[in-house]
Amino acid sequence: MSPRGTAFSETMLGTVHLAEESQARPVRLDLRVRADRLVLPHRTTHARLVGRVRIWGLADDARATGELEISPVARRRIRYRLEFDVHGRRHTLLGWKSITPGRPLRSMTRLPYTLTDEDGRDLGHGVLRFPLATGLVPFLAGWRFPRQSRRDDDGSRWDGAAGRTEVWYTTLTDPSDGTGVWLHHELVAPTDGSPPRVHGWVALFPPAGPVEHARYGPLPWPADPPHSTPVDPSVPGERRLRGTAGPYSWDLTERPTGKPLYTFPRWAWRHGVLPAAQMLPAATSRYAGTLTGPGGVLHLDGAPGASARIYGHGNARRWAWLHADLGGGDVLEVVAAVSTRPLLRRLPPLVFLRLRRGGRTWPRRALRPAVGLLGLDRFRAELGLPTWSVTGRAGLRRLRVTVHQPEARTLAMEYTDPDGSRAVCRNSEAADAEVVLERWWGRWRDEARWVLDGTAHAEVGDR
Amino acid sequence: MNRHPSAHPGHRSRRGLVAALLADDGSRPWAAAAADRVGTVLAPLPGLARLGFTAAAAAVDGYALLRTGRRLDALPAAERERVLAALAGAPAPLWDAVKVPVILAARTELMLHHRPHPSATPVPPADPPLDCVPSAEWPDRAVADAVVVGSGAGGATAARTLARAGLRVVVVEEGRHHTTAEFAARTPLERFTDLYRDGGATVLAGRPPVLLPTGRAVGGTTVVNAGTCYRTPDRVLERWRRRHGLVDLADPDAFGARLDEVERLLQVATQPLDVLGRGGLLALAGAAKLGWQAGPLRRNAPGCRGSTQCVTGCPTGAKQSVQLSVLPDACAAGARIVTSARVTRILTDPDRPGGPRAAGIAARRPDGTAFEILSPLVVVAAGALRSPALLNRSGLGRHPATGRNLAVHPATSVAGRFAEPVADGPAVLQSAGVEELHHEGILIEATAPPPGMSSFVLPGLGRELRAELEAADHLATLGAMIADRPGGRVLARGPVLPLYRLDPQDGRTLLRAVAAMGELLFAAGADEVLTGLPRHPRVRDTAELHGALADATADELHLSAFHPSGTIALGADPRTAPADPDGWLRGVRGVLVADASALPSCPEVNPQLTIMALALAVSERAADHRP
Repeated sequence: MSPRGTAFSETMLGTVHLAEESQARPVRLDLRVRADRLVLPHRTTHARLVGRVRIWGLADDARATGELEISPVARRRIRYRLEFDVHGRRHTLLGWKSITPGRPLRSMTRLPYTLTDEDGRDLGHGVLRFPLATGLVPFLAGWRFPRQSRRDDDGSRWDGAAGRTEVWYTTLTDPSDGTGVWLHHELVAPTDGSPPRVHGWVALFPPAGPVEHARYGPLPWPADPPHSTPVDPSVPGERRLRGTAGPYSWDLTERPTGKPLYTFPRWAWRHGVLPAAQMLPAATSRYAGTLTGPGGVLHLDGAPGASARIYGHGNARRWAWLHADLGGGDVLEVVAAVSTRPLLRRLPPLVFLRLRRGGRTWPRRALRPAVGLLGLDRFRAELGLPTWSVTGRAGLRRLRVTVHQPEARTLAMEYTDPDGSRAVCRNSEAADAEVVLERWWGRWRDEARWVLDGTAHAEVGDR
Repeated sequence: MNRHPSAHPGHRSRRGLVAALLADDGSRPWAAAAADRVGTVLAPLPGLARLGFTAAAAAVDGYALLRTGRRLDALPAAERERVLAALAGAPAPLWDAVKVPVILAARTELMLHHRPHPSATPVPPADPPLDCVPSAEWPDRAVADAVVVGSGAGGATAARTLARAGLRVVVVEEGRHHTTAEFAARTPLERFTDLYRDGGATVLAGRPPVLLPTGRAVGGTTVVNAGTCYRTPDRVLERWRRRHGLVDLADPDAFGARLDEVERLLQVATQPLDVLGRGGLLALAGAAKLGWQAGPLRRNAPGCRGSTQCVTGCPTGAKQSVQLSVLPDACAAGARIVTSARVTRILTDPDRPGGPRAAGIAARRPDGTAFEILSPLVVVAAGALRSPALLNRSGLGRHPATGRNLAVHPATSVAGRFAEPVADGPAVLQSAGVEELHHEGILIEATAPPPGMSSFVLPGLGRELRAELEAADHLATLGAMIADRPGGRVLARGPVLPLYRLDPQDGRTLLRAVAAMGELLFAAGADEVLTGLPRHPRVRDTAELHGALADATADELHLSAFHPSGTIALGADPRTAPADPDGWLRGVRGVLVADASALPSCPEVNPQLTIMALALAVSERAADHRP
């Protein structure tokens, strides 16, 4: 599957000559085309068609479906097959534009077709034309290349290279009593070439405290059990998390309820060009199952949370992280970090912030908060404890996030980088957060405000 | 509204030339009418041929103007005769080219003046139904499981097989559908110009140029052949197995079974003697006297009434051309025939996994509009001259042997003059076969011309030619065709131009055939034999015949050719054969070759049964292993 798909709309007008009718009837097609890959003119692309078919005095079906074969160069053909209802009977419109290099415009806009009924009998034929004068601008402006979800985001990234670390972690909140859960599963491949090892922990953050946790490992790689396994390898998405750590054991099912969310630019995650990058295979998930500990059994059912992946060379010099499930599928993910690299370590924290709201992600470019506009107007982070904050503006919107990690609900853990250096992370899966989104409309006006009382997942790290 | 003929200068020259050639002195009304009739003969010919005739007429007219100060049509008959006599030394092939349309026109007019109602044939039975759709009524876009290009012997058989195997088959044919009733209602000459490609003047360019008539109609050349049905000789099958690696296809038993099926379909039987015609009986008598092996031919015309019009479409519906015998079966199984549609290209999908694959065809209607049919299987059956050209146009003719290996049956004819009229009564166009010399590659067949349509080029100009025309009823014609060595090709690019070079050995065989036919005619009692040789047009006995042939060359003969084959030969060797032994074109998937072009070498006999059996074999396999 290619990283981007193609989507566009097309309107065509024409006539149909039905058998046994002397007069032609006007026909209009309003189609939306969606392909799972980029439409490249020299290749053949198969796409799905949905749209509306109108035949004057005969049919008006807004739920027509079909297929499109786009191959203007290789096969010199753009083939349409559209099925729609006429008085409850299924009809098929089959035709293709036959691309002639000598007459590109005419051949690209003329669609002769045949109309058949469900038994394959010819009902009529006609020609549809793309209205160049009125249709070209909307047609060209309507082209989109939406990203496709990738299956490889489900898989392990580590390729055996020394000096890398890969983290799979899950954070969730039990909706019944507000207990936060943190499952951390980490692979470290030391820089000195010694064997990679896997370790991790489970931590519970009851609202009333205190925080409990237990470690497991180090184990040889690959770990048994791993962080999670697909429930059905042929169906991407649903996963099962099982494991034990000291007195704790868990058996959970993870059901993704959102699309992937790339906190860092997607290319940075794919190609590993930054010191480290983080992403969520699903921006939000729901968890069910049990977590057993010395204090009893935690029964989870539809617990909101998310799993995330980190891959890179190690931890940052200083960092803060927030995962805030804003409800209704909306989510805010923030990573603010200072690199350990020379020069970069002198910069203020670089903010990577993604707000998924109503299915759309803001800011549209993942690098916008971190680098701003040519370095200006970057998002700012004030790191500290127990409170830290991030502010920033992009386009006509601005955002302010304030995170509060009460000490009683914060757990300090020590991290070891592949090069042996150490860092301390202070994590709370029962943090408080306030998120204010404003929009410029003559002046800044509140657009949305969320207050998370003990349900935010956050951490701050330093050395 | 009729314009006065002299209004057009070219027209006037033509009238003058026809009047001169036929010595039109006003005493013969048919001769005057022939001048107009020539126009209808010329009309369907290719532009170059018409231009040639007009140029020749203008040259003769110009010579008359220079010599006498008056144009040919204004000269008295005697003066015209002298002009022609002065020009008689011009090369014989030039005169022959001018004479053929004039003789055709004159004989038709002669027939009409003597027998004004030649179509007094009984009302023919209705043809079996066909699902023909003229291309004008066919939609611009259609899909099928198989598209068959051409509805001749090969195409019809393939269409029948595939349709009966359950495929949705569309046959695309360049010609139109002619019914038996239509044949019965028109004169043979009118039908001739309609039924043949290029008005019957398809020429193999080369030395010598050879006329190769091919049909263009629903039914292909089977509509206009003589109906002679020879089974493929065993030695030919043996050659295909041994030299071309067609081990399974040319297996004598398997191929024999397919020949049996085709014979059953076509109702092939030996022609009864009752309507054989005097020409055929004379040939049999001559052969009997010489002790040669001969007999009435096997034909696909049960109940033939001897109307002698096979080559312009059987007016009684007796001849089981494929549009009466095979295509009705195909249509009954669901096949549809799109007529008057010329396939311009085979569409291919070059980016399919596993290599390019056929996707259908693009075709044109007579008005120039285009339509396409998508189909994963394309059967090429446009004939040995047109099929390779179609592949070339489609970018599928890259195999070096595509269009080469063109084999034909070069043929020549000889006429014998008998005291009694020969052309009286019913006769079969190709009636008796003399197979005495078949081992030398010579097959002699007694032929009777259709009324008004002798293809034999009578000797002489002016009064001599007129006398020959009026006495043509006393002529019995024999034709001989020989199995040639492949010496032709169809050019890879540009217009469809078949090239042909007669092998010197084949030339000697043709002269041997002329000698044999002469002997046969004399044995049958001919008073004289018209040899077709310009220097010795008439011989009166065998000794004179052999004398005339001693210094003759094949270039001097009136050659025509039939049965082109071999231009997309099947074979096991991918280097020499463009198609594999199962009939699939190499280099692309989904293109099946199922016509005469698939024959690996000359079949040595009239090839209809061979083509059909081969098409049956490859299409049966294709139906079992669809692309």
